[in-house]
Amino acid sequence: MSGELLLSIRRVSKTFGDVPVVDRVDLDVSRGEIVMVIGPSGAGKSTLLRCVNRMEIASEGDILLEGVNMAGEMRNGKLAPDPHPVTARKRRRIGMVFQRFNLFAHLTALDNVAIGPRLVLGMKRAEARALAAEHLQRVRLSQHAMKRPAQLSGGQQQRVAIARAMAMRPVLMLFDEPTSALDPELVGEVLEVIRELADAGMTMLVVTHEMQFAREIGTRVLFMDAGRVLEDAAPQAFFATPRHERAREFLRRVRAAPVG
Amino acid sequence: MNGFDWGAIWYAVPYMFQGTLVTLEISACSMVVATLVGVVMGLISVSDLGFLKRIVRAYVYFVRGTPALVQIFLVYFALPRIGLELSSFWSGVVALAFNSAGFVSEIVRAGLQSIDRGQNEAALSIGMTNRQSIVHILLPQSLRRITPPLTNEMITIVKSSSLLSVISVTELTRSAQLIIAAKFVPFELYLALAVYYLVIISAMAQVSEYVERRLA
Repeated sequence: MSGELLLSIRRVSKTFGDVPVVDRVDLDVSRGEIVMVIGPSGAGKSTLLRCVNRMEIASEGDILLEGVNMAGEMRNGKLAPDPHPVTARKRRRIGMVFQRFNLFAHLTALDNVAIGPRLVLGMKRAEARALAAEHLQRVRLSQHAMKRPAQLSGGQQQRVAIARAMAMRPVLMLFDEPTSALDPELVGEVLEVIRELADAGMTMLVVTHEMQFAREIGTRVLFMDAGRVLEDAAPQAFFATPRHERAREFLRRVRAAPVG
Repeated sequence: MNGFDWGAIWYAVPYMFQGTLVTLEISACSMVVATLVGVVMGLISVSDLGFLKRIVRAYVYFVRGTPALVQIFLVYFALPRIGLELSSFWSGVVALAFNSAGFVSEIVRAGLQSIDRGQNEAALSIGMTNRQSIVHILLPQSLRRITPPLTNEMITIVKSSSLLSVISVTELTRSAQLIIAAKFVPFELYLALAVYYLVIISAMAQVSEYVERRLA
């Protein structure tokens, strides 16, 4: 399975007003790769991630998942933009985990996971719940299935969010700073779950500030600054000998920080 | 209170009771229509249906910018022109619902937009359409926030229904006015009228508090 091209980002830019937040980024991701995206805040990491599943619409460039353009269909050399339901269908293939979890506040943990399979994949209620229970078990939250998000810790909420995304059987997972909103003692349990997905061969793009985690789990590290990808290297190589001064400076500052 | 005519109030009870029933009927019909139409228009306001959205916005602009009394006259005299011969009761229902639906749609819109953006993003990220996100994620969560302003709007309907006396619907206000015209006891009956409305609206407030508690 691995080695085959899964995601292709071609000269993608995103500007807000006149400000380019993501600036002509090219990136090919193969199946099974675990790409860690790091860099200072404001570098455009999250925006790049959000362009992949069209939470943000790229101002320029193309994003292809398994060769399918996420924005529309090519007709006579021109891109015909997808109607909204088609975009929704294409998004199913990509799971996303947010910094602030974004669990559906009115639903139990179980229904948070089951609602996608039921509404979007058209499963029967019982079938969707069984699937959801299975995914909750995988993130070790079976005993909390009937709780509402407000009754769960941040770490538990984030694990439910991972289960919710995985229940849609995505081919690619996007993690947008999955541990940044967590109390330090809850970071470990979430990273552990992500690590297990990695071990199971899930392809993922992870925006993170956890350098240790990036180095251990990543098969590849992207360093972004001012909207550009400055480095794209194997973790060992990047952390040992970053080529750009900006990257060296960033790593110095991160290492000087008391935690991490 | 020198010369306060209690007898007139007692005399009026059966008539005003009858008027109360008409007020309740007309209000209930208007509330149902206004809520249904208002919710649909509120959903349209947050959807991506550009054309319908503009129509809703124009509608709300008109309803907010003109007095209810004028709207009542407009509906009452406009409907026969387009071949709809309605009784004054049903003209009244149409007018009140027409007025209130605009406000309900604004309440629903505000309620939906008050839900954290992340909820919608999460819904879209697992492949829901905008419609699924609104119906299954945003609307259920906004119900609790919508209930108090919606109750206010329902109370406004009851109060506005007194305006329908001008198109000779014999609701509560007009039934009092008829007795005033016959007996000439304006102070006593308008005072009684105020009490009748207070009772109706206090009862509604009780119901709404109960509903709010249940949704909490």
